[in-house]
Amino acid sequence: MKSPDPGSFRDPASQVVLDDDKVLRLLDQRGLEGWRALSASDFFEPAVADARLIGAVEVDPPPGTVAALEHPRLPFISYPYEWTFSMLKDAALLQLDILKAALLSGLTMKDATPYNIQFVEGRPIFIDIGSFEAYRAGEPWIGYRQFTRQFLFPLMLRAWVGVPFQPWLRGDLEGLTPAQMAHLLGRKKRFNTGALFHVRLQARMEARMSGRAVRENLRTAGFTPELILANVRKLRSLVSSLEWENTDDGWSDYGSCSHVGRDRATKSEFLQSALERFRPGRVLDLGANDGHFSTIAAASRAHAIAVDSDEAVLDDLYRRSAGLNLAVVLTDLVNPSPAQGWAGKERSAVIDRARPDLVIAYGVIHHLTYGASIPPREVVAWLRSFHCPVVVEFVAPGDEMVARLIGNKLPHELHGDREEHQFRALLDHLFETTDERQLSSTRVLFALAPR
Amino acid sequence: MIFGYLDPGSGSLILQAVIGGLAGLGIAIKAFRAKHGMGRSKVDPDLGEDSAVEDTTLSAES
Repeated sequence: MKSPDPGSFRDPASQVVLDDDKVLRLLDQRGLEGWRALSASDFFEPAVADARLIGAVEVDPPPGTVAALEHPRLPFISYPYEWTFSMLKDAALLQLDILKAALLSGLTMKDATPYNIQFVEGRPIFIDIGSFEAYRAGEPWIGYRQFTRQFLFPLMLRAWVGVPFQPWLRGDLEGLTPAQMAHLLGRKKRFNTGALFHVRLQARMEARMSGRAVRENLRTAGFTPELILANVRKLRSLVSSLEWENTDDGWSDYGSCSHVGRDRATKSEFLQSALERFRPGRVLDLGANDGHFSTIAAASRAHAIAVDSDEAVLDDLYRRSAGLNLAVVLTDLVNPSPAQGWAGKERSAVIDRARPDLVIAYGVIHHLTYGASIPPREVVAWLRSFHCPVVVEFVAPGDEMVARLIGNKLPHELHGDREEHQFRALLDHLFETTDERQLSSTRVLFALAPR
Repeated sequence: MIFGYLDPGSGSLILQAVIGGLAGLGIAIKAFRAKHGMGRSKVDPDLGEDSAVEDTTLSAES
């Protein structure tokens, strides 16, 4: 059954439609002209062969459509507010490289948004074939402002101001405005030309010229594509210079905790046996940390989705994930990214995108119950809501990690149902236990199938 | 003129020429003056902007 992709409606020339397992792009006359220019260019085939650009083949258009393309379906769609710093930086560099290659082939791009980029096997790939069109003499780069708002300023925010960009991108899907970025920078980077031009001068010019049409004036004044190329070259060097001090937010040394090394082999073996029993196509790893278990799932020919709220560990995982069938998703399980945007549907909830066949909940539920005060009953019901088998690690109240999580909370401030027999009773209502393993005196592994 | 679906921001468009270097700066000034009718000869704001551009003596080379 055909359904329009709720995130693809802004460009009337090119709209994505999901048809069962197929991804179709429906083009109007202008979209078709863009596609003809792109597919005939000497840029297209090498970029597809190099997996920098998604493939597309022409297929019979449905009635009422000028032309249609079919794209390969990607295993998982993630959004920039679920990416780590290195992911957004790699995506920014890809956007600039693609624009440069396009310009050198006589093409230009209509926009410059990270939503046009996805990650497959640890590498960014540009997916919006509809972005390209033939370059018209005298045209500036229409996507420049969008590039700064959605790529450059978020990276600057992290690198120069020390503030994570993800909450901002999640809160405002258009990104940061030049004026906002100028305020956030304050007196920082006063002598940096990138800050001067892209942030401060853009903010001033935006305030001065808002609402005036200038494209035709630029054309008449003699604007050339060499000016865009010069801007792209400078932006590339600026983006490359932005670094994030990947400081420890708490869990990046998790692998060195005493219980982790001791238990890891047993947990891996237990997961392996669940993978053989359930043969999942998609595995959702909740609280993935360094991605050890996601990597095991990915090696079993499943597509693994590694979710964690710690940017430091996930950034490290991303940089190690080349060639792995694994998606890195930065989101807080206590506040996972919601459905939002136009009509509340433009960007879908991360949980709805996951569609797992198996959930791994190792070393995570005690963080929810003790750290985030989620009642154990709620946690078990939440695990059941994925409608698939689950491998879960139960951690009893006497565990060293539980003591650390409880911190200054008093016993009466904690939820009930914390003991192992109570947890088993909660599981019994909703799951059938297919396997279990005592990990230590305070930890038990369960493999569960939904009832 | 073909319009994209995206608002590119007028200031941001002219800024691109400025960032492009010396030649671009001339083009930016020319486009900016044309927009504001600041050529050396008087331009009726109701007339097309092209007339203002032609009246502007600054060029990319200046």
